[in-house]
Amino acid sequence: MADRSLEQVNDPCVGAEGLTEQSRSQLEQDAIAHIDALYRTALRMTRSSSDAEDLVQETYLRAFRSLHQFAEGTNLRAWLFRIMTNTYINDYRKRQRRPTNTSLDDIEDFYLYDHLVDSVVQPQSDNPEEEVLERLTTANITDAIDELPEEFRQVVTLADVEGFSYREIADVLQIPVGTVMSRLFRARRRLRKVLYDVAIESGYIREMASDGQL
Amino acid sequence: MANCDETIAKLYEYLDRELSPAERREVEGHLALCPPCREHFRFEYNVLSLIGKRCRETAAPPELVARVRKMCERAPSDP
Repeated sequence: MADRSLEQVNDPCVGAEGLTEQSRSQLEQDAIAHIDALYRTALRMTRSSSDAEDLVQETYLRAFRSLHQFAEGTNLRAWLFRIMTNTYINDYRKRQRRPTNTSLDDIEDFYLYDHLVDSVVQPQSDNPEEEVLERLTTANITDAIDELPEEFRQVVTLADVEGFSYREIADVLQIPVGTVMSRLFRARRRLRKVLYDVAIESGYIREMASDGQL
Repeated sequence: MANCDETIAKLYEYLDRELSPAERREVEGHLALCPPCREHFRFEYNVLSLIGKRCRETAAPPELVARVRKMCERAPSDP
């Protein structure tokens, strides 16, 4: 279902007629309902609020222009995200100058958990790992995501913030589902390492020395 | 019955609700008997929930929403 509507983004011959003024207007309202999600994702992709605003505006411009190609009843949200991804790749990616570290892929699979259970954190607490998590602020988490390479930021945002399924992410990014899964796994692994480092730097946890002393 | 390694290997697919009903049952069968794995799943569930909750606090700026609404009023009909 979703596939069909997504395919039509690039096919101007499909469904050019037949969209009544009423259904166009309804579709526009439905599309605008996704603006917060698109903006959040644009912000993580561009890492700049002004670029994110431009990207979202351009996305809606393109979406409204090709609204007649959207097959009603299919996945409007995924369709909008795919338009935004294509717009980003074509117009914004070249502007990204901030370097990202793509090496360093030899991290433990569950770094944050493995290290937190080994750390001594507020021994009076029943649930020290949860307390460390709760202290992570929105800025801690968004900064951590922004440190990831672009392809990792993309999948983490689509999966963990916007709740897309693997299949939907594959459609949005036009990559195989298997690639989505391996990329998401590596992205989450890296993000947990960064979050652990943030928790240390912010003083939420103190690393235990090898002799067991703090 | 799946062992710990096999179960942990399915952690994210389980939390992402991407497993088949049979695979889900197998994971849950192991978790019911294994407190350490249960604890690990619960922790990662909490991490994912926290990331989602914190990041979803961000909304589009009102000026942007207004600009898009305006654009939509003016959007020309396609020929």
